[in-house]
Amino acid sequence: MKTVKVTIDGKEIQTSLDRTILQVARENNIYIPTMCYLTKVEPIGACRLCVVEVEGLDGMVLSCQEKVVDGAVIQTNSKALQEERQNIMKLYALNHPLECGVCVKSGECDLQNKTSEFEVNEQSFSLRDIKRKVENWGVISYDSSLCILCEKCVKVCNEIVGKGQLKVEPGGYKAIIVNTKLEDSCIDCGECMAVCPVGALAVNDFKYTTNPWELKKVPSTCTFCSSGCELSYEVKQIGIENSKEKIYRVTNNYEYSSLCGAGRFGFDYENLVTKKDEDEFLNAIEAFKKAEVIKFSSLITNEEALLLKKIAKRVDAKLVCSDAFGFSKFLRAFKKARGKSLWSSTQKKLSQSDAIVVFGSRIKDDAPVVKNHIAMATKRKKAKVVYMHPIEDFAISNLVTKFIKYEPGSEEAMALMLLQVFANKEEMTQDLQDFVDDIDIGFLSGESSISEEEIDELKEEFWKKKRFTLVVGADVFNHPEVENIAKILAAIERYTDFELLVIPPNGNSLGVSLICDLVEKHEGFSVGYNAPADYVLSALGDGDLGMPALNQQEGTFVTLDKRVVPLNAGLEYKGFILNDIANSLGVGSTHTIDFTKELPVDKGFRSIEFDSLEVKFSVDGDDLRGYELETILCDSQIELSEPDELPSYDGTVIYIVNPASNPNPFTNRAKLTSSEAKLIGTKQFASAAKISDGDVVEFEVCGNYISRVFKIDDTLKGTFALNPTFDMGLKAFDLPIYRFSKVKIKKRG
Amino acid sequence: MQRVVFSTWQGELIDNRNKPKDEWKESSYKLPLTYEDDLPSRAFIGWDGVAIFDEDIDVVRLACEYALQYQKYSEACGRCTPGRWGGKVLYDLLEKISRGEGLAEDIEQIKKMSQTMIRTSKCEIGKTVPKPILDLIEYYKDQFDRCILEQSKSKEYGKDSRYISKVTAPCIDMCPSKVDIPAYIEALKDMDFEASLSATRVTMPLAHTCGRVCPSPCEDGCRRANLDEPISIMELKRLGADYESDHNLSWIHPYKPEFPRNDGKKVAIIGAGPAGLSAAYYLGLKGIAVDIFEELPVLGGEVAVGVPQFRMPIEKYNKDIELVTSLPTVTVYTNHRVDANRLKEIHKEYDATLLGFGARLSKKVRAKNERTDMEGYWGAIEMLDKVNLWHKYRIGSPVSNELKDKTVVCVGGGFTSLDVVRCAIREGAKKVIMLYRRDEKTIIRNTTYEEYHEAVEEGVEFIFHSAVEEIIDEDNKLKKLIVNRFELVPDPDGGKPQLKKIEGANFEIECDYLIPAVSQALDTQILPEEWEIEMTSWNSIKTNGRDFMTSKEGLFAAGDCEYGPMTIVNAVYQAKRAASVISRYIYTGKLTLNDDEIMEDHLSRLKVYNKDEKIVGWMAGLPRMVSQKLETNERKTNNLEVNLGFSGEEAIAEAQRCMRCYYIAMVAV
Repeated sequence: MKTVKVTIDGKEIQTSLDRTILQVARENNIYIPTMCYLTKVEPIGACRLCVVEVEGLDGMVLSCQEKVVDGAVIQTNSKALQEERQNIMKLYALNHPLECGVCVKSGECDLQNKTSEFEVNEQSFSLRDIKRKVENWGVISYDSSLCILCEKCVKVCNEIVGKGQLKVEPGGYKAIIVNTKLEDSCIDCGECMAVCPVGALAVNDFKYTTNPWELKKVPSTCTFCSSGCELSYEVKQIGIENSKEKIYRVTNNYEYSSLCGAGRFGFDYENLVTKKDEDEFLNAIEAFKKAEVIKFSSLITNEEALLLKKIAKRVDAKLVCSDAFGFSKFLRAFKKARGKSLWSSTQKKLSQSDAIVVFGSRIKDDAPVVKNHIAMATKRKKAKVVYMHPIEDFAISNLVTKFIKYEPGSEEAMALMLLQVFANKEEMTQDLQDFVDDIDIGFLSGESSISEEEIDELKEEFWKKKRFTLVVGADVFNHPEVENIAKILAAIERYTDFELLVIPPNGNSLGVSLICDLVEKHEGFSVGYNAPADYVLSALGDGDLGMPALNQQEGTFVTLDKRVVPLNAGLEYKGFILNDIANSLGVGSTHTIDFTKELPVDKGFRSIEFDSLEVKFSVDGDDLRGYELETILCDSQIELSEPDELPSYDGTVIYIVNPASNPNPFTNRAKLTSSEAKLIGTKQFASAAKISDGDVVEFEVCGNYISRVFKIDDTLKGTFALNPTFDMGLKAFDLPIYRFSKVKIKKRG
Repeated sequence: MQRVVFSTWQGELIDNRNKPKDEWKESSYKLPLTYEDDLPSRAFIGWDGVAIFDEDIDVVRLACEYALQYQKYSEACGRCTPGRWGGKVLYDLLEKISRGEGLAEDIEQIKKMSQTMIRTSKCEIGKTVPKPILDLIEYYKDQFDRCILEQSKSKEYGKDSRYISKVTAPCIDMCPSKVDIPAYIEALKDMDFEASLSATRVTMPLAHTCGRVCPSPCEDGCRRANLDEPISIMELKRLGADYESDHNLSWIHPYKPEFPRNDGKKVAIIGAGPAGLSAAYYLGLKGIAVDIFEELPVLGGEVAVGVPQFRMPIEKYNKDIELVTSLPTVTVYTNHRVDANRLKEIHKEYDATLLGFGARLSKKVRAKNERTDMEGYWGAIEMLDKVNLWHKYRIGSPVSNELKDKTVVCVGGGFTSLDVVRCAIREGAKKVIMLYRRDEKTIIRNTTYEEYHEAVEEGVEFIFHSAVEEIIDEDNKLKKLIVNRFELVPDPDGGKPQLKKIEGANFEIECDYLIPAVSQALDTQILPEEWEIEMTSWNSIKTNGRDFMTSKEGLFAAGDCEYGPMTIVNAVYQAKRAASVISRYIYTGKLTLNDDEIMEDHLSRLKVYNKDEKIVGWMAGLPRMVSQKLETNERKTNNLEVNLGFSGEEAIAEAQRCMRCYYIAMVAV
């Protein structure tokens, strides 16, 4: 982009032609007031507070939207500007309810702040008021009398979340924001509420509980999926007598990043342990000493994973992590074939892509914030999005340009077909070229039941596109042929225009896979850390010895953007922690976070103290939290194989998936995100299983007998049902099976 | 020149109050002195001033009503602080004065609020509404003072007067279809593609099409040109439409189609081209039963069989067509040729009939020995029909059978001729020559800069200032052309330069095909002779250009058959207006326009765009975005769409250049 020179308030600045005056000013620490500006979306231009003057130009220019032009001499402050800005603030104050004393936003309200900044101390204009109402939108409510129509909520709902269900209902002074799809599929992500500069959008549960300024902010990371979004727990002592602290809410750096509903509203899952249970602690030590296998879930910090590794070594036990094992196999095979330890893409790169394939994931549920980045690409890059999955997801049909339905189990075939269609063969070795030429597309397309035309159309779909991203999800990690799939995907990343973005199956599966040497299973006495075992340490509070939940811990996680990011303890934990056990076994340290700097450097970690990890974003919203994991290079060997036959999934097939708003047993403990687990299926599924809507049904998944109410969802197609696991307790982390399975459904009673 | 009592319109101050009539100064603007037929206007007030025609009018009430109209507009907006609150403050204060309760300081408050609105409003409507109000406060101070000092109601307060308003914009006014351009651009800026498309379809159903192949007269009325370059209005239209088709969304209508009326009323439409489809769409949206009769086996008219695939992909056009045919009251009959007898039957059977059969006869170049039966002589329409029927529908046979390795000469200079030569290139012709009487500049003006250059890049040879004098054949097979050369001779009297033949400069072109693409005429055989349908001097069907009824009662005409060969957007406009008139006519038997249409015509006469206006509050110098095109070698041997359209960011950046030049105009009657 062309460089231009501008002068703002006497300061000469070099910048590029695509920057707005406001962006350039902010980069140079020049203050221009705004009420409707939100960094992560395109300029809104509603408040008009950011007007500036340009030398030689009549009138006032809107700095948030106007881009700099060469030689412009800009004045951000003058008497005339001040006067108009004050007038605008006076207009905002017209009939704004004088309820700051009890308003949820008081103390952190932009309107309050700017009213004070512009010294609006009297009402020189008046307006006949009208009756306005408060609407309940589920977790949050909308009070139109407090709304200043800045439209930030509308923008994020459309541009970031991709739903576009909030709209301005025009009407001049009567204008309000409406939620056009309240009845269906509002995913309660709370993005709209997070960006509201006033008290118009507020969490019902938070209202009248505290003043915002009394809350202590603890910056941390969301652990519920591998997006690892930035968040802050906001904490306060419960009362005068009760010195215990409580998390009142979660906030985030909404100017730059976003959160999903689970991350924002599922915060109160802490393990309430009141004291150290010395007797049980001794039992735990004994259990570890005799353990032959240590089982755990990958909802665990890197430091604890390292501790478990040390303990396992000490007591000579094997490490089993069911929810990360398949992924660790994937990662090893990928590295070997790719010659690189990690995939190349990030969420930011995804949002800048114009050709996207989503493969092996029900993306809006598995990783809602990844879905947000797809939405950004859809809106901003006019991206073509191909969604390949056995089950279509109508909730994101406005983002998807092409849906390709394949048979469950045929991921390997699909990956091969992608390779064949998109490979730049001239760069390949002769062997690989021969292999790719020999791929029996007819056979594969027949088995996966997609037509050859559909595959050819893929190429057309992406005609003339520039930035390709292939998003790969959790369906492949427990596929029987995961290693071959990993190799094919490695070949795709190497020999096509696609960059890969892999979504690890659980919060820190990537960290765990890098740190620990996992085995699939091992016989003998087992100790479980947040996993079912003979002796169980559980943060859910249902084990032999309690452990801190992740909102009570310090440590680090590795995100799918390959960043090592810090977690801080929102709440204190009063019981014993893993480090105490490690200390008793002679492998611990003073604090768990002493191990941050000891994370394996040969896996890409850096020897950095926990306390020097920062939480920050660039002016353009680049995630600069913690540090970026180094990608380790090695020799690349690609030897692929083609399946002889593909598994078939006939009859009643269930798919393991948790809804975005309640992804795991921890969120199911939180007040706002817990829900009833239902088996949600199609009409065909119902008739194949001979059940009807509302029936209580029983079935078996991976040795667990499950009983649920069955619901029909008319938007689903095929003979499928979606089965959540968030109500299964620790068992939810011990389901090392391919996500689709054929089950026998029994109607109870 | 027009006689007005008072006017500040476009800076022309006229004040004839208290002057003898013979000393009255006249206005040079086409102000709407008469609202409709014999209904006089009392005043006109708008973005650039106010004109008073009735000396006795209550200007306090006029100012107040104008502010109120702005409030009504805000009902559709209210999206900036000064506009949302400021406009309401303005109205509340004017209403208070008119009510007889105003205070002297209220005038000061009005002035202060006006200044904030003028300086900081989001769009021109907020910036311009205060202008005529301040004019009235200045020049009719006595009326305001009287209300305030005597605390008396203004003389027409509470009385039943009629004020009719309309929102427009220079680009909207310049667009034949009056598409709400700032609305669809604003929605793109908001990345609300569905809202963008829905705004377009209020007056333009063929959004996929007119986002691709419209010559964009709107851009000649874009105020941004006063600052730097016009907005790329046409191409931005495509974004919303492509979003709908790329994501397979359900149809996005401007409003929910009404339920089928099933009241026995039905309208016949002859021809399923842009005019027929558009009329069917707007009648269908109202739930009125429509039958379309199409001669060809395919729908879409000349845009389908005339405009080549590489400019207008049929998959995209079909989306626009399906939008129309998806309406429950629209029925289509293809392969249904309507001749004079059939038209008589239809006219009898239906409550109204709209002719939209276009102009599909290729005109001759008027050379010696020009015979349509000569082998190698091929009318442009017939040639393009064959090209398109093959490539788009696999009907017939490929034209490469005829043109491969041949030399093709096309005579023309408009869109059709460019389509002919570019298709000839793609069909493998060895050499393709375009003969044009005038120069390069003119051909660019008649078509577009991009298209002309694309043709040049693809290898078309343009020979300017030339015309065919004689066609030479051997055994009725075309062999060569004898071509005259012309030069432009300046008119000594300062008039338009004249084309003059250069004697002795004739030359010959050996060729296999001559494709005349000079113009098209309509096939008048369809019109029953005994109806004696009135025709224009250029032999198209005559209407008054307002209600589009022909000289035959109940028979309407729109599009090329009415206007002569013209643009899609013109056909859409005429058809939409005709549909509106028909929707009333079939119930009342009367030809009426609604207020919106009357105001639309008034504003078109007055002209909304002012190329001399100085732009305030925007910085010049942001480049107009140019969309990506296929490289010459990527496109010239196939039918892939040449224009890839804007990328998302280009579209947003281009949309952000739009200054939202909405204006509001009001007539008091």
